[in-house]
Amino acid sequence: MEDQSCRSVEIDGNSTSNSELDSYDHNSPWALDIGGTLIKLVYFSRKDSSLESVGNSVQVEEVGLVTGSKKYPILDGKLHFAKFQTSKINECLDFIESKLLHGSCCSHQEVSDKKKLLIKATGGGAYKYADLFKEKFGIRLDKEDEMDSLVAGANFLLKAVPCEAFTYMEGRKDFVQIDASDLFPYLLVSIGSGVSMIKVDGDGKFERVSGTSLGGGTLLGMGMLLTNCQSFDEFLELSHKGDNRNIDMLVRDIYGVTGYSKLGLSATTIASSFGKVSFDNKVLKDYKKEDLARSLLRMISNNVAQIAYLNAGHGQLKRIIFGGFFTRGHEYIMETISDGVQYWSKGKAKAMFLRHEGFLGALGAFKSYEKHGLGSLMGHHLTEQSPVASPR
Amino acid sequence: MADLIKNPVDGIKPEIEDRTSTKTEERETEMAPPAAGSSIHRSGSRPQLDLSGAAIQGNFEERDPTILLPNQSDDISHLALDIGGSLIKLVYFSRHENKSAEDKRKRSMKQRFGISNGNRRSYPILGGRLHFVKFETAKINECLDFIKSKQLHCGGMVARCWPTDALSNENVVVKATGGGAYKFTDLFKDRLGVSLDKEDEMDCLVAGANFLLKAIRHEAFTHMEGQKEFVQIDQNDLFPYLLVNIGSGVSMIKVDGDGKFERVSGTNVGGGTYWGLGKLLTQCKSFDELLELSQRGDNRTIDMLVGDIYGGMDYSKIGLSASTIASSFGKTISENKELEDYRPEDISLSLLRMISYNIGQIAYLNALRFGLKRIFFGGFFIRGHAYTMDTISFAVQFWSKGDAKAMFLRHEGFLGALGAFMSYEKHGLDDVMVHQLVERFPMGAPYVGGKIHGPPLGDLNEKISWMEKFVQKGTEIIAPVPMIPPGTTGLGGFEVPLSRGDTLRSDASSLNVGVLHLVPTLDVFPLLADSKMYEPNTIDLSDHGELEYWLTVLSEHLPDLVDKAVASEGGTDDAKRRGDAFSRAFSAHLARLMEEPAAYGKLGLANLLELREECLREFQFNDAYRSIKQRENEASLAVLPDLLMELDSMSEEDKLFTLIEGVLAANIFDWGSRACVDLYHKGTIIEIYRMSRKKMQRPWRVDDFDMFKERMLGLSGKKPPPHKRALLFVDNSGADVVLGMLPLARELLRRGTEVVLVANSLPALNDVTAMELPDIVAEAAKNCDILRRAAEAGGLLVDAMINVQESSKEELPSVPLMVVENGCGSPCIDLRQVSSEVAAAAKDADLVILEGMGRAIHTNFNAKFKCDALKLAMVKNQRLAEKLLKGNIYDCVCRFEPAS
Repeated sequence: MEDQSCRSVEIDGNSTSNSELDSYDHNSPWALDIGGTLIKLVYFSRKDSSLESVGNSVQVEEVGLVTGSKKYPILDGKLHFAKFQTSKINECLDFIESKLLHGSCCSHQEVSDKKKLLIKATGGGAYKYADLFKEKFGIRLDKEDEMDSLVAGANFLLKAVPCEAFTYMEGRKDFVQIDASDLFPYLLVSIGSGVSMIKVDGDGKFERVSGTSLGGGTLLGMGMLLTNCQSFDEFLELSHKGDNRNIDMLVRDIYGVTGYSKLGLSATTIASSFGKVSFDNKVLKDYKKEDLARSLLRMISNNVAQIAYLNAGHGQLKRIIFGGFFTRGHEYIMETISDGVQYWSKGKAKAMFLRHEGFLGALGAFKSYEKHGLGSLMGHHLTEQSPVASPR
Repeated sequence: MADLIKNPVDGIKPEIEDRTSTKTEERETEMAPPAAGSSIHRSGSRPQLDLSGAAIQGNFEERDPTILLPNQSDDISHLALDIGGSLIKLVYFSRHENKSAEDKRKRSMKQRFGISNGNRRSYPILGGRLHFVKFETAKINECLDFIKSKQLHCGGMVARCWPTDALSNENVVVKATGGGAYKFTDLFKDRLGVSLDKEDEMDCLVAGANFLLKAIRHEAFTHMEGQKEFVQIDQNDLFPYLLVNIGSGVSMIKVDGDGKFERVSGTNVGGGTYWGLGKLLTQCKSFDELLELSQRGDNRTIDMLVGDIYGGMDYSKIGLSASTIASSFGKTISENKELEDYRPEDISLSLLRMISYNIGQIAYLNALRFGLKRIFFGGFFIRGHAYTMDTISFAVQFWSKGDAKAMFLRHEGFLGALGAFMSYEKHGLDDVMVHQLVERFPMGAPYVGGKIHGPPLGDLNEKISWMEKFVQKGTEIIAPVPMIPPGTTGLGGFEVPLSRGDTLRSDASSLNVGVLHLVPTLDVFPLLADSKMYEPNTIDLSDHGELEYWLTVLSEHLPDLVDKAVASEGGTDDAKRRGDAFSRAFSAHLARLMEEPAAYGKLGLANLLELREECLREFQFNDAYRSIKQRENEASLAVLPDLLMELDSMSEEDKLFTLIEGVLAANIFDWGSRACVDLYHKGTIIEIYRMSRKKMQRPWRVDDFDMFKERMLGLSGKKPPPHKRALLFVDNSGADVVLGMLPLARELLRRGTEVVLVANSLPALNDVTAMELPDIVAEAAKNCDILRRAAEAGGLLVDAMINVQESSKEELPSVPLMVVENGCGSPCIDLRQVSSEVAAAAKDADLVILEGMGRAIHTNFNAKFKCDALKLAMVKNQRLAEKLLKGNIYDCVCRFEPAS
């Protein structure tokens, strides 16, 4: 997570004539993605705003948008990314109240206008918590379609941010420069609580072709039941130290060390996840938590990879890009997914990841403000900067 | 459930098999004199049941006591095993010596029709039975005991000779597949002295699946929202298909033909995952317990649904309903709750859905990838479990947007074992055709359900005690069946209407796997216009109302049938006891079918009626209506000469009409019809016949008589040529055959048409059998030259045959009158499975006459033939008359369909 925690992206406003930016109002916009497990918040702050001071409990990431304005009155600023647990939505509300509503978002003078305030939001929670936002702040959540937002976010990142995509194999991260003109079609696999698989053919042109309910929610939910861990990070920590061979039934457990070579199955291929447990005369506490975590992680990652590969139609889609909060910066997850894609495609396909993957939806929702000035930012508007501030 | 786990014997359910009445054996027994008292037919060539040392194992109070017959052996040819991680599947084949002493008549019939034994094949296929048995791998000793007790391992490949000390035979080789074939090699060597010959698992799976799909009609079925629908697959259009075998892991195999296949994919999330995770999360002790838990679960407490995320709303834009699972186990992300806070039932259900759905999805994606139209799911994970099948079906349906359907196999657990069996060089099943297999569901089937079987019961006495034990314990298998309490004779009776308990049966959807009887002499009736499209049953029992009605009819008829059956065996205490047991066993079948109409495969009225006859035979009521039939034959034969004289005095036209009317009128005598049974109590056979005749008025409900007359007599004096040969499928004994069909046959003979009387191989109700007909014809021939000469020509009057040459000098040679058996023991007839004699006789036939409700209405009413066909019957059931003909009881059907 550390390598993505903070960075800034510079926008060079000179290199385009973007009339949309003219009418950009000075109230910093913000947008929400309220998922089943996490709330993702993206907001913009001007350079001079006071938003940068952030409470300890909230993780905020920032991307600076440094606009040098000659022709147009574009403000320099930063895109901030924050996340909260959905179950602790009050922390999110507090944050919004203190930082956005009473911070820079609206000028203090027009409290009555707040009633008319529309905030872009996506994710299922945008429906579920609409009333809550209305009661609490008198703001209306303007629901953006989840898939629209995801795709818009991904397209924006892939086109506008250099080296946004990377592969992760054997502990090594390789950034991939994708030619924006050769981007489509690709398969976007968003691993949230569940998994959505979206075939993206262009801006606003996409189709949800598949999905699976075995996703991040399964990993963490089952992980908590099996290992008593309290957080995703703790679960992943456990999985690092585990050995799934004590849990899974491997091909060699059935056919011996030579494997079932006739079918191209090597001895170490997992024949049945948790299969060994079914033959043991043991109970949950007899197993090492680490082993259980590892086995579960491999099961889910491998499964997502397989279904994604099958949906990519064996090369018809050029790239499979994995996003969503559960892959985010977790090397071991990325590695097992990459292994899975490698295995099922017999090495022909590679899994790719996005650096801002957890915020695709929020970014897409944010991008849907009609005149926020980011609409047609191109790669050359944004430059990477060294970290501005360390989160938490 | 707890009991089930503790008790090692409980998992084993006796497999009840029928060893007293198989087609093959029937061929032998039918040669016995018809009314040889109450003695039990047993072919001398068959091994007798050895009851010495028989013992019921375990506690009698258990649900299914295991009965061991340690010294019983069978004539086993082959045995094959599939030793999986959790279950051992065993397939064995018992065959009979083909020693049936054929009588002269039958031999001459075979010569006449040019049938040689073992037709078409280089070596004769012998009839026999294919048995399917399951054991838990953890209790492998029970399996070994079973094999030992039946000396299955001795039959092996040592062909016919297995001396009693065959245990010392070192070279016995048994085909086996599955992981355990390696693991237990030594055990089998030590305990049984046999070597396991390992067969490749995939090879076996594919061979097994191909065999089942080709050889068994309605082997495959779809399962959507709890509804099973059997699918008939055209053998020529079977390949390619995707076979998904769900064991511990999942293999997906693309099958292109026999022995041609490729493992194209698979997943490590399979049955082992369900069981493994289930064990960790619920502390269940067995797979079945885990499955049963799921039945009472509610996955909404575990899974995050689309509705949970969208606040109860659908995400309809992408086709997700509020109840779609967005994230399996997504709701268990909670820092405050622990495993103990969740219900094991809910966890089990959530796991089951997750894994089934995932398998369905990956299977569909692979089918799509290779353009395969059919996906068959098999393997131990499914176990006939309704929810599992529904979930897989749903996944396939959902992702394919309805284009693809998941299919399941009735014998799904036995693919590997069957395949191993097929790997014997001469397993006798090479070219088994669909029409040669008859599946039978013996007595215990409704109780054992689709569960694990144990040693079979063979002895009649064992069957009865077993039945009685079940009743005493009030085993709660039974659905609320609309039946009157059978209340039969003696011995404690049977008053308690069985009722369903509060809980759903754990195997609510399980399918019973019967014993497959291989009857190589069965054939497809060659005169069917389109045997592929042919469906014997007229009434669709998948209509619940119909099913309920017919089950009720059968149930109501039961007491009367039991009375007849007991009386036919002299009304002894033994007969009463058997009668009670039969009544219970058959009621149990009915109840099981009411509860689960598809339990025995695709159900038709023909199957139901045959089941009843089989069940009777199982309790050794070989001919319940024997004395009634005799009495009625005698009474009818007494008045036949008068009738013939009357007929001969008529004009051609009047005669033909009177003959057809006579057939219809005589068809009123039917002990299978409730209404007719009531009639019997009111008058003598002749009185009823006269009354019936008087009442008949044209036009009949279906009246093609004029068309038939035109074919027979022609228009305006131009006489058409007579038919060359007519097959007359006869119905009941007594007046029906003697006063109805025989005069019609005589008229055809007189006109120069050869006549073949086709009758049942085995008794069914009061239907006349092929064995009884020659005597009836002989008796009738005493007073009729036409019949006598034709019977002589047809070899029916054996004694007279010696003088054939002599007599032919004096008289003009007659066309022959012949009798052949139809291969059935049921009041109905499925023309896809008739005796090879009928098939051969049909070669030169250009007229088929089907008579009676069972053969012309319940079945074959809509059958189309290549030749002229006449269907004659009186409808003796009000509801049937209304539904099918929009008429009334006693309405008549005379349907003539010229060659199509």
